[in-house]
Amino acid sequence: MSKTANMNLIMSDAASRRQRISILLGQSFLFLITSLSTFAVFFIFYFILKDAIPFFKLEGFREFFTSTHWYPSGSPAEFGALPIFIGTGLVTLGAVVVAVPLGISAAVCLSDLLPFKVRQIVKPLIEVLAAIPSVAYGFFALVVFAPLLQNHGGVILSTGIWLVLGPILALLVIVIGDLITEKLREKIPNPKTAGAIIFPVLGILALIFLYRISTNLLGIEISSGTNALNVSIILGIMALPTVVSVSEDALQAAGRELREGSYALGATRAETIIKTIIPASVSGILAAVILGVMRAIGETMVVWMASGNASRIPEPWYNVLQPIRTLTATIAGDMGEADHVTGSSRFHVLFAMAFCLLAFSFIMNLVSEIIVKRSRRKLGK
Amino acid sequence: MLEAFEAETAELKAALEAQEDEKKKLAKALKKQARALKREGGSEEEIARLETEEDRLKDEAKILKEQARSLDETRDEPYEALVDAVKELFGPMPGQKKPVLIRQQYGQTRWDRTLVKLHEVMFEEEWDYSNPDAMGVLIEKPRIEKFRGTELEPFFQYLEEHIDDMMRPKTTFYWQFITDTSKDSHIFGGIWPEVLGTIYLTLGAMIFAIPMGVIAAIYLCEYAQEGRMVSFLRICISTLAGVPSIVFGLFGLAFFLNTIHISDSKSVLAGSLTLSLLILPTIIRSSEEAILAVPRAYKEAALGLGAGRWHTVMTVILPAALPGILTGVVISMGRAAGETAPIIFTAAVSVGAPLKIWETLNQPTPALPWNIYNLCTEHEAVDEIRHVQYGMVFTLVAIVLLLNLVAIMMRARISKKLRG
Repeated sequence: MSKTANMNLIMSDAASRRQRISILLGQSFLFLITSLSTFAVFFIFYFILKDAIPFFKLEGFREFFTSTHWYPSGSPAEFGALPIFIGTGLVTLGAVVVAVPLGISAAVCLSDLLPFKVRQIVKPLIEVLAAIPSVAYGFFALVVFAPLLQNHGGVILSTGIWLVLGPILALLVIVIGDLITEKLREKIPNPKTAGAIIFPVLGILALIFLYRISTNLLGIEISSGTNALNVSIILGIMALPTVVSVSEDALQAAGRELREGSYALGATRAETIIKTIIPASVSGILAAVILGVMRAIGETMVVWMASGNASRIPEPWYNVLQPIRTLTATIAGDMGEADHVTGSSRFHVLFAMAFCLLAFSFIMNLVSEIIVKRSRRKLGK
Repeated sequence: MLEAFEAETAELKAALEAQEDEKKKLAKALKKQARALKREGGSEEEIARLETEEDRLKDEAKILKEQARSLDETRDEPYEALVDAVKELFGPMPGQKKPVLIRQQYGQTRWDRTLVKLHEVMFEEEWDYSNPDAMGVLIEKPRIEKFRGTELEPFFQYLEEHIDDMMRPKTTFYWQFITDTSKDSHIFGGIWPEVLGTIYLTLGAMIFAIPMGVIAAIYLCEYAQEGRMVSFLRICISTLAGVPSIVFGLFGLAFFLNTIHISDSKSVLAGSLTLSLLILPTIIRSSEEAILAVPRAYKEAALGLGAGRWHTVMTVILPAALPGILTGVVISMGRAAGETAPIIFTAAVSVGAPLKIWETLNQPTPALPWNIYNLCTEHEAVDEIRHVQYGMVFTLVAIVLLLNLVAIMMRARISKKLRG
């Protein structure tokens, strides 16, 4: 090492120039590799778009986005992808409904309620959930969950509604109860007893509401287990780790000072969480939701295997008990047949779909990035 | 067997034939009469009456003949249906020629299938479509009803009572499942081609992704000046991380196969390249984190001793960051092994022999994730091979979880080292 140092000290002009050039060359080599790997994203955009444009040139935009007839193999072929877009939206929405309440409450538990030791065990476990291959989830959805749903649909639905609506309603009860007591405080001399009445009443109302819904759901019979509901639940579970870990990070980032300040003002733990920490980290939680949506929308195997792949709009549109079809599943399923006739609309329409997916996830990514950046600035970090 | 039944049908048939003969004889007699009347110039009315009578008798004889024939055909039907059902359950009878397909050379190899086939022996299925508005209703009739009073009647009870002893498979640990090739399209044998294909694809992806990812991370951490360019690069990386996996698959098809023709058909090479793009962001990010986690003092000491920047990176920073980088690599290996969508169009086929290493450059391979999909949706005998499906899923999940476990342990060791 000292040898190099000495050489550096007594280098001639030519040698020093040579070294500078070699450093420059080395750096530009590194830059080249880096940009190659990062610019892969441009390659992807370019090549997807290159094969998507012929479709729009041949068939135009109107049919693709507004028609409900999807018969790419018919003659004349029809490329109305509206049901497929709606199917994608429906399962994504379903996944959000499953993953977000569960995920956020899990994140709150992890960051504020559970002791540190439990958190250290639970967090890797949730991350393992993210590591399981999507085809394994798809297998589970198709072979295990679909028959279960078909045979015991009502029971599963009603327990599911407790799991999903429970946390939301609990939160609502606390918030609404608080609002009411706040309002009453000015009019009634003894607000404490008012609170003691209002909270149980609201809680019982919520419980009755939940009970009514779940008993109604208990009677439902599901004719086919491969439907939007099945896929939504599984996608929700798949998106859960993302939602949990990103929103837990956001809750942690709210910081100790904020929590201690809230406690110092006399707030209880529940009040601190609901009124201080969640509002402070709401943008981070939003980013978590967006990332969860991206995970759900881009998922292929589960929807391909267990959604039923029927390209029609469910009736009514929110009926999750009917089979649907998504963009990703259509791409995966139709390419095998379209591949033989490279150059036809049937091939290019799949690239058009891929481009829609790509554009959507790009926008979502940017939005989440901006949100995270802004929240960091707001929290002063 | 069935003698009583056969005797009964034979009797019936004989009676029918006798009736037929009688009718025929009568018809002939009538014909004669009619002819005689014609010759003698009898009344027209009488002749017509005789002729219609003759036709009627002929028709009746025809119907009787038909009945006798159909009796002939239906006589063996319930028996043959039973024989077929029993063959499904136990395999071909002793002394019979062995079928070509291996799956038909034995009876049911799994207990759940045995129960299904037993049910098919015990009950006959019929569909009732009498209500045209609703879907057909399945009616199950006990098969024993057709054999009441025959010698076969006790057979059904015996079967029901002893099926457990006759067919219950022994549970054994069949570890060769992983290293055997499949026989008779996955109904017997193991999953070695799939496992090997997954290994090839994963390692191939690593060969491309590790150098690119680590170099990019080194550049971003050590050389690049923070500025527009770098934040732009970072946006690109996070966008790449957000691209849906199926889009990677389409890109692989459009670019590697259709544009630069890296191989004539799907190949492991094209699949590996596609997968490497997919895991690149993960590797870049984790390597960056690992490099940033190296204490500043190391770098400053190296620079202070007179080492150049490159020298510092190679001899001080990279070795210190290696465990962290490896953790990221191991995690992305798990990701690459489990991804299906990118290899559908670029590398995976449903059936294939294990590849030699040089064949990976231009040949497609079966791979665990793709074949799980294929076996449980597109296989001709989906229900018969549930064991293989579960086995494959278990193998894949085990591989991925094992890799993740290694990563978690490595991370724990690193954090202990950094703390201590």
